This record gives sequence, C-alpha cells and structure tokens, in this order.
Amino acid sequence: MKFEIKMAWRFLKSGKSQTFLILLGIIIGVAVQTFLGSLIGGLQQDLVNQTVGNSPHITILGEDQNPRPVIVSDHDITRIITYSGAEEGIKRWRPKLEKLDENQDLTAVSPVIEGSGFAIRGANNQSVILRGVELDRADKIYNIKDRIVEGQKDISGNSILIGVELANELELEPGDSLQIRSAGEVTDRFIINGIFDLESGELNKSWIFMSQQRAGTFLGIENEISSIELQVKEVFEADKISSTLNNEIDGIKAENWQRNNQQLLTALQSQSSSSIVIQVFVIIAVTLGIASVLAVSVVQKSRQIGILKAMGATNRSVALVFLLQGAILGVIGSILGSLSGIGLSQLFVNLIRTADGDPLFPVQIEPIFILISIFIATMAGMIAALIPARNSAKLSPIEVIRNA
Amino acid sequence: MRDELIKIKDLIKVYGQEIKNEVLHGFSLAIKRGEFVSIIGPSGSGKSTLLNILGTLDTATSGQIIINGEDISDFDEMRLASFRNKNIGFVFQFHHLLPEFSAVENVMMPSWIEKGSAVDDFKERAYNLLDLVGLKGFEEKLITKLSGGQKQRVAVARALMNEPAILMADEPTGNLDSETTMKVYNLLRDINKELNTTFIIVTHDRHLAAKSDRVIEMIDGNIDRDIYKGKKGEDEEWQGLAPVYCRELNSVKVENQ
Repeated sequence: MKFEIKMAWRFLKSGKSQTFLILLGIIIGVAVQTFLGSLIGGLQQDLVNQTVGNSPHITILGEDQNPRPVIVSDHDITRIITYSGAEEGIKRWRPKLEKLDENQDLTAVSPVIEGSGFAIRGANNQSVILRGVELDRADKIYNIKDRIVEGQKDISGNSILIGVELANELELEPGDSLQIRSAGEVTDRFIINGIFDLESGELNKSWIFMSQQRAGTFLGIENEISSIELQVKEVFEADKISSTLNNEIDGIKAENWQRNNQQLLTALQSQSSSSIVIQVFVIIAVTLGIASVLAVSVVQKSRQIGILKAMGATNRSVALVFLLQGAILGVIGSILGSLSGIGLSQLFVNLIRTADGDPLFPVQIEPIFILISIFIATMAGMIAALIPARNSAKLSPIEVIRNA
Repeated sequence: MRDELIKIKDLIKVYGQEIKNEVLHGFSLAIKRGEFVSIIGPSGSGKSTLLNILGTLDTATSGQIIINGEDISDFDEMRLASFRNKNIGFVFQFHHLLPEFSAVENVMMPSWIEKGSAVDDFKERAYNLLDLVGLKGFEEKLITKLSGGQKQRVAVARALMNEPAILMADEPTGNLDSETTMKVYNLLRDINKELNTTFIIVTHDRHLAAKSDRVIEMIDGNIDRDIYKGKKGEDEEWQGLAPVYCRELNSVKVENQ
C-alpha cells in the first residue's frame, strides 16, 4: 500500500466520531442528490411520456400546407373549425415513405389521410376527424390495438374504429352503423367495428380510424396523403431530426413536437435548473463540511505532520495524505449515499401511491447519474482537502516540535 | 583519526524579516563520526537552533554546512527531506510518536517514508530495534498503551530505523523522571558504542552532559566552551560542568538504584 494511503486511512480511522459525522454528512448530501435526481428524472420522463408517448414526435406535411380555418356550414349553424386541407397533401409519397422507413432514428412511420366531417345519428351530430391509416403502422404510435375497449381492431373495408366519448355521445356499440358526412358534402355509412380509448378526451371524442383506401375514396383524395406521422428514438432529438428530414426530402415540411410544446419544455427546463441549483448547493455544503473537518484535522494532527516531516516526509507527501483523506471520504460517502438515495426513492415509489394503488410516477435511477455524483463527491472531497493540505504542507516541523 | 562527519563554517542564523534577530553569530564547528556530543547552555542561547540547522529542519541564513560529505547549504525542500530521512534520526523531548499506530509501525515509519510505501519488509529490523531498546513483547501495542519511558524508547528505536549516521536529540529526557532518564541515557550511550552512531544531544541537564565525550556550551549565539573529556588541561573544566551538589545528588541516586 502506498505510504500516503496508509497514513490517510489510519488518520481517518483514528478520528472515529469525526469521520463518522462527516461521512454521515456526505451520505445525506449524496442521498438527497440521488433521490432528487431520480425523482425529477422520473417525473420529467413521465411528463414527456404523457405528452408525446402516444403521439407523433414529428409530423411531415405537404409543402406550404398550413392548417387554415375554413367555414363549414352545418345546417343552420355556422361554425369555424380548424381544417387541415387535404388539397395540399404530400404528393409522390411512396418513395418518401420508403426513405423514412430506412431511417434508423425513427421508430414509427405512419402515413395518414385525414379529413374532417360530421358523424350523424338521428338528430345528434358530432364533428369528427377522419383518419385513414395503416393500422399496424399507426399502432406503433397510438398503441390502438391494446386500447380497444370494445369490439374488434379491424379496419378493413367499411369498418371503422371510434372513441369511447363519441360512442357515449351518440349511443353507439360495435356492430352499429354510422352515417358520416365529409367536408366535401359526401355522405356514407360505415360499420363500427371497435371502440378505443386513447386516454385523451379530445381524441376519444373526435377521432375515427378507417383504412387508408376507404378514407381516400370517401374524402376524394387520390395519389397523395395528408401527412406522415413519425416517432423517434430520442424524443429530445426530434427537432434536429426534423430539420435533417426537411433538408433531405424535397417537397415536405417536417414539424416537431417541441415546437408545439414550448410551454412544457420551458417547464421541464426550469425544473431541471432548479434541481441543479439545489444539487449545487448540496455539493457546496458537503464540500464545506469536508473542508472544515479536514482543517480541524490538520490542526489536530500537526504534531504528527511535524514528526513525519522531521523523519523526511516531503511537503508533497504530507499534503497528499490530506488530499487522500478527502478523496476517501468522498468515495465512501458517495457510494453509501447513492445506495441510500436509491433506497429512499424505492421507498417513495412503494409508499406514495395514487388512489388506484399505482406509483405516482416511475422513479428513474440512472447509473450514469450515480457515477457522476460519485465522481463529483470525490472531486469535492479533494477540493475541500486542498486548503487543509496546503496548510499541512506549510507547517514547519520545528514549531510543532518545540510547542508540543 | 576519525573523519569529520559534520563541518560547519561561519554559521549565521537570523530570524524575522523586519525586526531582525540574529541568534547564531557566525561560528565554525566540526564533529567527528562516532562522537557523543552534548550541547548545553541557557535558554535562548541558540542551542536548539543549532541542532535544528544541523538536523536540516531549519536552514542557515548564511554559512556552509557539510554533513556526511554533502554540502547541504543549498539543498531544496525535497532533497533535504530525503537527506534527513537517510542520514539523521531524531529524538525529541516529547516522544512525537503517531498515536494512530502501533510501536512497531512507528519504528518502521522512516523506512515507509523512504520507500514511499507502507510495507512490512523491515518488520524484522524494527523488532530487533525494539528488542535493543528493551521493548520486547510491546511491538504490536498501540502507542497510547505505553508509559512515558517506553514511548521515548520507541522514539529512539524509530530514530535508528534507517541506520542514520547521526542521531539528534533535543532534551530527550526532559520529560522523564530521573530514573528513566538514566535508563534512556544509558541506552543512547550503548547504541553509540555498539553502532558507532554519532550523537548530538541538547540538554539542560549538566550532569547528563558531563557523561558525554564532548560538551559544547553555548551562550548568546556563540560557542562559549568546547571541551573534551580526558583532554589535557580540560579535565578540571570538565569537573566544573556539573556543580558539586549535582554530582553528589547523582551519586546518591545511583547508590539508591
């Protein structure tokens, strides 16, 4: 064992209560960091998941296609709805789709023919959004198949899937037929094959899934599609990927979720910053704690330092003994602290639950985050030991020996 | 004729930057290998300063210092530390052992410093040294479990660990009762004879000094007297070192032992 390590270790061991207290300080500090980090990480992951988990991260539209308000007359009522015009859809979309299918950054690629209309049952009617999709592709984004609450998940031919709210509103069941009028004043009857619950009131009320061909003929859209919806591996990379796609593929416009969720992003950002601020102050407190204990220790051990120097230990070597004490405290404290932090977050997950008995949100423990906090605590320990180490190096053996 | 182990020339030591206080006024001195030298003198006479400079714990303001053939006058901190480690052993008034370690670990410490690693390679030698100072069986005891005299003997063993050419002691018995003082002194004397280690001892104790080969008396930063035992014409002076009552007291003690 290196001489300095042995000295550092023995000094720490001999000052049991001091070492224990400062270790406890570091453990609590790092535990709070780990707990806070995994809590906030989990919370953010959960928020992002809720926002974009089952929705497209990037939507590819036809060039210059902007959603525009169009006045649709509905019997005697005139209402304005947002209508993404199908006239300026994506043309020659098959090669584009193939190109997107090859992209490694994407996890889901789903072409959509979309149009608005009215679902009519007797005197009741509801404005709806008709979505012609390939079910297997759309499923990767919306997870429709697992969210069918009643009926079948088939949309071939004349079959459609509607949301639970629309079904309640119009008192529909699987097997019923439903009359739909498109914005282009085409009216047709469809068979309700299944009822889905996408966990969003808005979508459950307005969305109707049907096959792409059926949507094309019904909405009068040929040789083009309205949009291609994408999901990416790294949700926060969506903006970069969308701008790459904009450059690589002609005749399209890619929009990412971040652009439409600035508020959420700002919230996440400020949450992260406040968590960082808290963690920085925790580190500072821990560092000051180590520094003060080691500073006291240098004074307490000045006799030992003096005699070590008289025996030929260099200033460097003596300073290293104190640096190593800081490092040892940092390493041991942060490892124990991380473990306590993980325990604490598990406790939190297991004790604090929603009314249904589910965890409030998943707590995310990232090994890299823990490694980083161990590294930071060790560094902090060494930095804290710098001043005491310097003081020990400056200590003159003569004074120590004379003033014993 | 024994060779000169330590040779100093025109040694001056000044303390303080603004208010200068010259404590050593520029004298020369040579000490031969194997000599047992005592330095005596009143408080503030500069004897400890001289010892610290000879022990390379302190540096001279000016003058030349040659120890063991090496001119250490302009060694830097690292070289001085290494030189000290190999050539000089210290025994202080207060034992200055490391209470965190056992007796044998304390004795091995100079070798750990020399090697840079805390290995047990020299444990046998450390055991032998502890045996030499009469501490057989106490090797693995923590320092805090030893008596004052035992601690001082561990300190002597430690000072001898790296087989230094010189052993320096500053009031090595100042903190011990007279019986233990005699034991430690006799131990030092035996080592001096057995290992031919050069001893330089600073002491207040005149009758202890009188048992040395050579006594250097310092007054006000200069060497006032430098006398050798058994040297013609100096014997009378030697007798005067320890006042009569001291000698009588000493002989009474010795009889009582």
